[in-house]
Amino acid sequence: MNFDSVPFPLDTSFQLWLTVFGSATLIVLIVSLLATVASLGSRGLGVFANELGAMLGDFVSISPRRVFALAQLTFREAYRRKALMVFVVFAILLMFAGWFLTSSNLQPEFQVKVYVSFVLRALSWLVLPVVLLLACWGIPEDIRLRSMHTVVTKPARRLEIVLGRMLGFSFIGLLVLTAMATVGGFWIRRQLPAEAQAQLICRQPISGELSFRDREGNDKDEQGEALKQGINVGDIWLFHSFIEGATKARAVWTFDDVGPDVLDAEGNLLLENRFQAFRSHKGDMKRSIYFQYIFFNPETGVRAPYDLKTVEENRGRTDRIPRKFASVSGTGGITDRKTYDLIEDLVTKNGQLTVEVACVDPGQYLGMARPDLFIRTTDLPFESGYIKAVVCIALMLLVVTFIGVSVSTFVKGPVATFLTFVIVIVSYSARDFMGTIIGDPDALAKAKQYSGMQEMKKLDGGGVLESIYRILTHMNPTTELPAGPATAVMKTIDTGMVNFLWLVYRILPNFDYFTKSQLYVANGFDVPFNPSVLGCLMITLAYFIPCVILGYFALRVRELEAK
Amino acid sequence: MNNLTSQQRKFVYLGAILLLLIPIIALGMPSDGTPNSGGSIARLRQKLDLGESDLGDLDPSGAAMNLALLGLRGVAANILWMKVDEQRNQKDWAELRITTDSIIRLQPHFEKVWEYNGWNMAYNVSSEWDAVPDRYFWVKEGGKFMQRGVERNRRSSYLRWYVGRIYGPKIGLSDEARYFRRYFRQDPDPRFKNGPDPEFNANDEDNYLVAKRWFQEANDAEANGARQNIMDRSIFRSYPARSQLDYAAVLYKYGFNEEYDREVGDRTLTNDEAKALEVRVREKLKEDTRAAWALGLDDWTRRYGQELFSVEYLPGVIVQMRLEMSEDELQNLGKTPEGIAQLRRAVDQYQKMNNYRYWRTRALCESETNTAEAHWSLFAAGEEYLKQNTAEAQEFAEKSMELFEKTLEKYPELRDEDNFVEEALKSVLIWNKVLNLRGTKPPETFPLKSLWDAKQAMVPEIERRFERDSRSKN
Amino acid sequence: MSTTGQPREAVIEIRNLTKIYRDFWGRKKVRAVNALSLDVYKGEVFGLLGPNGSGKTTTLKMLLGLLFPTEGEIKILGQSASDVRKNERIGYLPEESYLYRFLTGEETLDFYGRLFNMSGSERKQRTDDLLKLVKVEHARKRQLKEYSKGMTRRIGLAQALINHPDLILLDEPTSGLDPLGSRDMKDLILDLKKQGKTIVMCSHLLADVQDVCDRIAILYGGELKVLGRVDELLKSQNQTQVLSDQLSPAAQAEVEAVLKKHGAKYQVDHPTANLEELFLRTVQESKERPGRRLIADEPTSKT
Repeated sequence: MNFDSVPFPLDTSFQLWLTVFGSATLIVLIVSLLATVASLGSRGLGVFANELGAMLGDFVSISPRRVFALAQLTFREAYRRKALMVFVVFAILLMFAGWFLTSSNLQPEFQVKVYVSFVLRALSWLVLPVVLLLACWGIPEDIRLRSMHTVVTKPARRLEIVLGRMLGFSFIGLLVLTAMATVGGFWIRRQLPAEAQAQLICRQPISGELSFRDREGNDKDEQGEALKQGINVGDIWLFHSFIEGATKARAVWTFDDVGPDVLDAEGNLLLENRFQAFRSHKGDMKRSIYFQYIFFNPETGVRAPYDLKTVEENRGRTDRIPRKFASVSGTGGITDRKTYDLIEDLVTKNGQLTVEVACVDPGQYLGMARPDLFIRTTDLPFESGYIKAVVCIALMLLVVTFIGVSVSTFVKGPVATFLTFVIVIVSYSARDFMGTIIGDPDALAKAKQYSGMQEMKKLDGGGVLESIYRILTHMNPTTELPAGPATAVMKTIDTGMVNFLWLVYRILPNFDYFTKSQLYVANGFDVPFNPSVLGCLMITLAYFIPCVILGYFALRVRELEAK
Repeated sequence: MNNLTSQQRKFVYLGAILLLLIPIIALGMPSDGTPNSGGSIARLRQKLDLGESDLGDLDPSGAAMNLALLGLRGVAANILWMKVDEQRNQKDWAELRITTDSIIRLQPHFEKVWEYNGWNMAYNVSSEWDAVPDRYFWVKEGGKFMQRGVERNRRSSYLRWYVGRIYGPKIGLSDEARYFRRYFRQDPDPRFKNGPDPEFNANDEDNYLVAKRWFQEANDAEANGARQNIMDRSIFRSYPARSQLDYAAVLYKYGFNEEYDREVGDRTLTNDEAKALEVRVREKLKEDTRAAWALGLDDWTRRYGQELFSVEYLPGVIVQMRLEMSEDELQNLGKTPEGIAQLRRAVDQYQKMNNYRYWRTRALCESETNTAEAHWSLFAAGEEYLKQNTAEAQEFAEKSMELFEKTLEKYPELRDEDNFVEEALKSVLIWNKVLNLRGTKPPETFPLKSLWDAKQAMVPEIERRFERDSRSKN
Repeated sequence: MSTTGQPREAVIEIRNLTKIYRDFWGRKKVRAVNALSLDVYKGEVFGLLGPNGSGKTTTLKMLLGLLFPTEGEIKILGQSASDVRKNERIGYLPEESYLYRFLTGEETLDFYGRLFNMSGSERKQRTDDLLKLVKVEHARKRQLKEYSKGMTRRIGLAQALINHPDLILLDEPTSGLDPLGSRDMKDLILDLKKQGKTIVMCSHLLADVQDVCDRIAILYGGELKVLGRVDELLKSQNQTQVLSDQLSPAAQAEVEAVLKKHGAKYQVDHPTANLEELFLRTVQESKERPGRRLIADEPTSKT
């Protein structure tokens, strides 16, 4: 896995959502109040209050029957207009995909990754355009053909129209997705080469926290902070950091809540790792680099080294450590042989297990990141993770549907399609980049891995205008700009743009959670509820509410006749 | 325009359409297959071999993808290429493999794309893996990938040359060469049951011989007009012969163990059987290496040496030359005395540039039975020394020394070739060590004494290397 | 001015209604309705007439809340036009077939029934009744896109009636119907009137309006030109119409003699559809003298 899964930050994201949503709502309210007062004079105040009251009233008086009627209408429309044909496309794609995928003779785990990520990607990218088009064209077409007239002249609230449309499109999307996912699941099972079938599982890892000790054995840096990084061996991407062999350097994982229940049926502790090896000299090429687990109980001070193991780079290995094992320790010919009980002797009273990892070969290095060592508990069947990944795709489709429907209430079909498409594409591809410009901590943390683990700051060189000025005048970003009104104007405009970018960045959905959920299954892991499913769910909810309100507001204040 | 009636306007439109049609027809009319038919673009396409189906196999899925991308395939390929780079940085090998396939589906006739990505797998990705079999796997992936590129670009000499590079130097000359060469014929993947990967080495041959074939194909393609811009043509054309020479040389280095292990297979041998097999393998290799060198000599002097190159000897001065030229040919081609002198200098310069004379002498000498005997006696001496069979070791070493002495007498210019000298000195070194073990003092004179004395500076390094090799054998 | 003498309850009150269409930049483009004021009373059939672009459909759409008035007020069934709750008691037949073409007849009625929050059994009952009433029962399982124009009008009417509306707004109810269908439609309207429902209709087919409407308003250029009871409007102040059937030539001569005696100018003729005359006259005069109210009915404007 090439990413660290941190729990979904419920409280901070909720706060952020509240800030963005609240301030946006406030702005809209103030602007519309001003507009009403400006056009109607003092009478506008009453009109505004009335409208606001009526809108709130609509929220209270939602009729499920009407919403479902509209949802069913939406579904029937799509169904009778053959929107479900996309399923056929998918089936055809799967029929021929085998040609391209089987040609690859990668190792079994990789084959699983290839097949699973192919299916999941096909699922999301095939249903997405369908949902997007449907959602973006539904209401505008309804208005254009004036069918909407027959609905709004019934007691159907415009809020219910927005809700019904969203529900209907969501249902179509989910139906298509479910059908495709079922076929896709069977396809993976059937098409995957026999030798890779065994790898079609969902690991359930217990991950620990990772800290380091340097070659002198210090676990703190000069500033007295806990060492969270090892050595950089020159990788461009510094997700993994390394410890030097045959020194006191250690990677230290601490696992919480370790008890007899995490052992397997035979009473073994399954430690699985994905360590990397880096050789500073070739050494004996045939021989892998050795590492060692050392179990450490900080309460008793007991250190129990376990047998030497070889690194299986890029493949990973699972070590079964029996509950009772003999540990040989000591140096200089004096060996000390002791038998330990893993749970009794090495786990602290509050259930913490500390595993130190040492590289044995001098001059060689062992690389790791937090997810690279975990306790593997009972595996779940592949379908368990697959279904969760599909649920996350479904949630992504919902987000796109909500955005599409919402946008389509105030612009015409083609514009809505384009706008929604741009939102999706930009969210997928450029959001991180925008984050680094505005200085978002998450985006900076991601960028940090590409910058030699330097703490990232907002980029030097200022905004657009300043950058253009600096490029044209060949001015170094560290040089101060000449003081003067021109600089002030330039900086003001740039700040305005960055603030606008901040808003855009905040409004764009974070698709990371959706894409990552797929990576778990593809890598042979179960999709964790937190952060993946929870994150996706929260994002979906976070878009649902504003999208409904925006859609309703836009549909309510517009004249349906106006072309 | 507003003053025109609608009818008049329509006529104007019609006129404009007709006017535009003329260049379109002139340029764009498709060819009906016969030469010089169709519009000028079609003719130009024929002339420059730009037709897609002329280039190699068509990939319908790629064509469909191009259509779907509405002409943005260049952009899409770039994005994917950046993704490959990121996936490489993030060590996401499975995804890298898929992305690479997507790129070439978009750009199937862009040789550089094949070359870069194949190279990426065979060199960069391969080296990221710690286990040698894994490294070999990615070398294979890169090689196979480039071969698919050749299928899509049938005329390319450029891609064929790069395929040859992977088969030749990548497998035979990298740090892992000892393992790679073995894996080439006994793949570590259990699916191939200790045989070669049929997709990579269908005929169970030596990697250098496969490389030689690819280089030869590259030469043929080049001769058919496929330009290459990798290197000077005179060097480019030397690769098939060079591969043959590399093959012969590598047999000395790894040949015995590889052949012996192949012969043994899963069997366990008694000491006598093992001894008999060793002798048999040595005898076989003696002939094999000699023949390989003889063929190499032939390739080098009769084929490569006879190729006619037109080289820009001095700025603006282009001369026609061969690397192997008799005096008569020099006279004929040079014509004027000045021309002959120029040609002579050009030949000399290019011979130096390509190390032509060294390889010619080396191949000539190595293709003699005596030289082969000298090498394999030296090899046997080393083996026997390691087994502490001092009597046999001494015998083999002395034989080897005598033979090397004879060869050097015949080819005195080899005294300046380090590779050859090293072999010769090694025989003396082993001989000294054996004598040391047996407690006898070396006699005052012995074969190769003058060389031994002259090149004393090289001895410590040779000794170190010998010790290291011996250790790794045990 | 009530002919029946009962106090008349206004179902629709329009006061000073103005609609200005603006272009993208907010500039005034068209004044579609100008200071329109009129009332529609409970139980009557009210006809809105006018040439194309006179503002009658705009007025209707403002009544329904599809368009928002630029100025003025609308009270419909005692509520504001933008209040969606009024729709509970309104039935609307749009000008053309704006129904969902992919739904079957049955599904259409069921769908609109659900929008009124009707229960399943009620919807079923109502669907059956209405399909019978508008005579498209045979096509209840067919999608609307297969319907003929007449059938579409009928199913359109059926959906307008699904909620037993008190007020029915019909936009061109008889367009696209053959004479027989047109007759059926008019009978139905009269039947609805009998049930005490209020009906407002827009139509070009003056004969139909004349047949069914109690009162009419003629709009021209967004302004109200004529408003009044159909019978009274057609009664010319200085003319007297004598209608008789099967008057013998002898009797006719006698009548003519009487008229002559009183010195009246007269003309003996068969009755004509003279709403058409009125309409054409109104349009003609409005063109000649814009901005003048031609015939006043009763003072509707209280402001």
